[in-house]
Amino acid sequence: MTPGPTTSDAIEVQELRKCFGDREALRGLDLRVREGTCFGLLGPNGAGKTTCMGILTTLLRPDSGHARVLGLDVVQERARVRAQLGVVFQESSLDPELTPREHLRLYARLYHLDRPRQRADAMLERMQLEDEADRLVGALSGGMKRRLEIGRGVLHAPRLLFLDEPTTGLDVAARARVWQQLRELHAQGDTTLFLTTHSMEEAEALCEELAIVDGGERVASGSPEALKAALGGDVVRLVVAETDISPERFEGVEGVVGVARSDASQGGSVFRVTVRDGPRRLAALVEAARDLGIEEVTLHRPSLEHVFLHHTGHGFEEQDG
Amino acid sequence: MIAFWTDAAVLCSREVLRYRRERAYWAGQILFPLAFVGLLGFGLDRVTQLPGGTSYLGHLASGMLALGVGSGAVGAGFSLIEDRESGFLRALLTAPVSRGSIVLAKLAARVLASLALVGLLLAVLALFTPLYLAHPLALLGAVVGITSLFVALGIVLAGRLRRLESFRTLAAFLTVPLYLFSGIFYPIETLPAPLRWLASANPLTYGVDLLRYGLLGVHELPLGSSALLLAVLASLAMLMAVRSFDRQTPA
Repeated sequence: MTPGPTTSDAIEVQELRKCFGDREALRGLDLRVREGTCFGLLGPNGAGKTTCMGILTTLLRPDSGHARVLGLDVVQERARVRAQLGVVFQESSLDPELTPREHLRLYARLYHLDRPRQRADAMLERMQLEDEADRLVGALSGGMKRRLEIGRGVLHAPRLLFLDEPTTGLDVAARARVWQQLRELHAQGDTTLFLTTHSMEEAEALCEELAIVDGGERVASGSPEALKAALGGDVVRLVVAETDISPERFEGVEGVVGVARSDASQGGSVFRVTVRDGPRRLAALVEAARDLGIEEVTLHRPSLEHVFLHHTGHGFEEQDG
Repeated sequence: MIAFWTDAAVLCSREVLRYRRERAYWAGQILFPLAFVGLLGFGLDRVTQLPGGTSYLGHLASGMLALGVGSGAVGAGFSLIEDRESGFLRALLTAPVSRGSIVLAKLAARVLASLALVGLLLAVLALFTPLYLAHPLALLGAVVGITSLFVALGIVLAGRLRRLESFRTLAAFLTVPLYLFSGIFYPIETLPAPLRWLASANPLTYGVDLLRYGLLGVHELPLGSSALLLAVLASLAMLMAVRSFDRQTPA
């Protein structure tokens, strides 16, 4: 017998594996998502995000491992899982021959909601689609379609909403609008959001908790702030004219946790000073280097990109496929 | 269990919404048999003597109704591929809807479309051919049976083919022989023996005979066994379709 899930876990994934032919999409993925959070599964294309979502939304069967959604097993209790979750796919899942109003009414009925017409109309208003309500979906813009997909996904007020790459392919304005709607959704209810994204920016903008996946495995998890803080702090890069300077002169500055020195290509030295709270310590570091002939000072704040690089040893974008 | 039927009804209403918008489809469905009856029927009526004294015009017109019902029903597979391509099916499968109700909705919508087609065609054809509603219940049974056979064929085919183009080609390749050896164009008793056996192995033959009985009051085969065979074969075909749909959808 496996121990029952705690009520605070919206998703619990253990040792999940899935192969397509001889390609291993998931190699023992572990995840835990607390109820009520906005959780992001971040990783490059091909990291296994969509496969993971496919399993959690009951569309795919895992080869091995366990996945529970809202305390229900996604293989054994498929029907009950489906009634409780909403899904917004990366690619369109709309019928181009129907209108937004018809879509929402159809789903309101399939989820056996009371007063389906009113529910559908209220959702059109909430998703700002009233003006397009009776046009065929095939004629709508990408942003409108995405809003309709989200509206369809949340129509039955699911306890858990899955979004696969919710803003991929949208322009900046449409993306901002979708983000705004997701924030509102998260703020006004206790819906848990689970989104996959390959956009670091999106992960930072929306997610309270993240798991970074690469090659079908989790490589790091935590809040965006914690993940970045775990790298040790900001990095101040100082290029000075003098050579043979001991790194010790920077170690005394408050907040410094490490100093690395190397020779600059055109003579002089390069110091990479890892320091907490970089912007506030910059002046003191410059002061400490004042007599060395400062040529360049740059402050690097860690981004999720650094976090990813740190944990995987490779960059983000070149890992396609 | 109630949910199974209401879900199917809801999904069927969606299919009906889609049909109502396909004006070109309906125009084609009505003009094609009319053209056949007009171009072939009138000419051949003069030179053809059918056993039992039925007019060839009536024979062909009732056969073309069966052909229209069959070719329309195969489109269920086409719409399934469309649903898969648009992604609509994927979203549907994450909703608490059973696969059985999805298939049933396709069938029910096609039956409604078939009945509408038969109604429209009858209204037009009755103006210049000797069709009359001899036995409405037999007609209804024949239309439901033929529709089920071809809906099932379409769904099974859709499970094997990913592209609309290949579906169109293969569906035509498979259905044309069914139409030719089913008594649509001429009574099967006029065929030489080997072809007659081919016709009796064709489930559509029984549907066509029953449909003709419904419209003209004449039949070539024993009625009871035609009705029974059609019912059994159509049910078997639909069972195969449900199983195939189960297999073609993930998880």
